[in-house]
Amino acid sequence: MIDCAEYRRTVLADPHAASPELVEHLAQCPDCPAYRERLLRFEGRLAGALCIDARAPRARAPGSGWLAMAATVLVALVVGTLWLGAPHASLAADVVAHMAGEPEAWARTEVPVPSAELAPVLAEAHMRLNPEAGMVSYAQSCLFRGHHVPHLVVQTARGPITVMVLVHDSVAEARPFDEGGYRGVIIPVPGHGSLAVLAQGERENLVEIESLAARVKDAIVWTG
Amino acid sequence: MKDDVGGNVGRARFQALCQALRPDLLRFAFWLSRDRALAEDVVQETMLRAWKARDSLKSESAAKPWFLTIIRREYARSFERKRLATVDVDELIAREEPMLAAAHDQDLAELRAALFKLPEEYREPLVLQVLMGYSTAEIAAELGLSTGAVLTRLFRARNQLRALCGEDTSMDPAP
Repeated sequence: MIDCAEYRRTVLADPHAASPELVEHLAQCPDCPAYRERLLRFEGRLAGALCIDARAPRARAPGSGWLAMAATVLVALVVGTLWLGAPHASLAADVVAHMAGEPEAWARTEVPVPSAELAPVLAEAHMRLNPEAGMVSYAQSCLFRGHHVPHLVVQTARGPITVMVLVHDSVAEARPFDEGGYRGVIIPVPGHGSLAVLAQGERENLVEIESLAARVKDAIVWTG
Repeated sequence: MKDDVGGNVGRARFQALCQALRPDLLRFAFWLSRDRALAEDVVQETMLRAWKARDSLKSESAAKPWFLTIIRREYARSFERKRLATVDVDELIAREEPMLAAAHDQDLAELRAALFKLPEEYREPLVLQVLMGYSTAEIAAELGLSTGAVLTRLFRARNQLRALCGEDTSMDPAP
């Protein structure tokens, strides 16, 4: 069995490592669970820190303007209307932009959406939702990137989270984001596009949001 | 990108790919260079080189690591071209303050400043792991290192970063 030093050395290199040796040590050690918990909290902050706003205004260093201008002209000439001329809208950015249109959805409430209203919204995406997902307080079928998709708000112990079921938008891997005052993650749902889960506020913990996203994903029953 | 790469369909797909990946590519280039202006230049040049070399992209699912590899090469080229002088980290932090700032969260801004102070050999694998979701083996392949060397760098990166941020590192094993 590995000792505490080896355990901590390993998780400092990869906090999400979960080999049988690590799991065994964690289960038996009186100190390392608290160590791991602190490390995962730090990891959540680190992920948020690295997610700088890629659309923030550019603060150009003196003297470097000519290079970018030359590059811009070159790219525009060769690639035509390639990304320079188009809005830089990532999937995450589109999800965040959609939030601005429905601020009332974020209300903290204990009133669930009636089943008769929720079911048709979910049915459009060929899905049902098990109660393990949490209480759904808002459900709308929203036009997003040319398709109607379920836009849900689920009440959790830490407040409301928004879930968008993006059956028409696939991602290869989980994509945490921190944009426009929202933090969240877009996770792949093999065969059914992706799931965007986000919360309001810069202090939101990305690791916790990822955990909530996994819970919602597990609670979905696909019917088609 | 084998389908109609030179035509409208191929160009539209490539454009969509660039749009989807650009935020992450810019973030990676920023943390590599610690310079927003340089990062944007590198990403622009990367897009141009990627467009020219689009036939070598086997599938869209492989696009992200493909772009990141081009970014790393382009950053190295820009470094050689501009013969960048050694700069004071505090000056870099002050210059990039708008990028490092986090509304209502001073801790986050401090963490970003601490990331600026990490040596590049530690910062780069950390960004690949945390931001890009690379496994240890993928980082090793990208950086041309052994997995053991990558794990050592990741360990030292977090160890130093936590110390810079005033975290309790008394229970950390010795580097």
